[in-house]
Amino acid sequence: MFVCLCTGATSHVVDEVVANGARTSREIAEACGAGGDCGRCRRTLRAIIEAHFADKPESVSR
Amino acid sequence: MGEYDLHSFILACDFRVDDIDRMWEWLKKHREGLESIGAHHVVLYESIWEPRRVFVTIGIRNARSIRDVLRSPAIFEWFDISGADDIPPIFGGEVVEKIDLFGSGPEGHVGRVVVGVMSSVADVSELMVKVHDGLPRFKNGGVRKIWVYRAFDDGQEVLILQEIADEASARQWIEHPDAAAEWMTNAGMGPYPSRFVGRFAHLMSVGEPG
Repeated sequence: MFVCLCTGATSHVVDEVVANGARTSREIAEACGAGGDCGRCRRTLRAIIEAHFADKPESVSR
Repeated sequence: MGEYDLHSFILACDFRVDDIDRMWEWLKKHREGLESIGAHHVVLYESIWEPRRVFVTIGIRNARSIRDVLRSPAIFEWFDISGADDIPPIFGGEVVEKIDLFGSGPEGHVGRVVVGVMSSVADVSELMVKVHDGLPRFKNGGVRKIWVYRAFDDGQEVLILQEIADEASARQWIEHPDAAAEWMTNAGMGPYPSRFVGRFAHLMSVGEPG
């Protein structure tokens, strides 16, 4: 899925960024640019973070 | 990340709009914007159970870059006029197979019930084998057509559009999907929207007939 139209970032890329430690939409933007421009994809970014940690008892900040 | 073979592809997204009719009228008046991104058809499905939820597919041809298409002003204007503050994730991919279980039906698809799912599967080729093996069961369950698309950016990601006989059959399918319908499992997770059940509402041809 293309999640950030401004940068063309895909959910695959965002998944990798989250797997590498990003915990917030701001950290995702810093890592790959997604959500750092118009910011209208941040809801999706947060959904990806939540899905990633759905099975893990770690806290997820927004 | 490289680009893809863009001879012809589909964009699809699932989102909520303020006013479906107003959005469609706007799209009809802005065909030149759609034409500028290579669109040849736009199809809109309206949710049966969730007011203002829509599922839209746009057929694109002769585009140089899917990213250029996605960041074009036409796409952003479309979401603006729809009242969508949050831009939904967009599926971009190509057709794997279109299976018509009852042969070609008559034209005039408006009102037909569809189930749309964007999801990931373990292996698309294996999925297609399971789908073909399960076709008699699908047919008994009221499934009329199955259109399978594979994403450009993720080889495990699929968009499945199914035309189903009626709303009751669609509900049965949603609540008790066939074991072969692996794509139903991950719907609603992460970037994927929940399962969409709707009716074919509008079709627009853009530019020359595709």
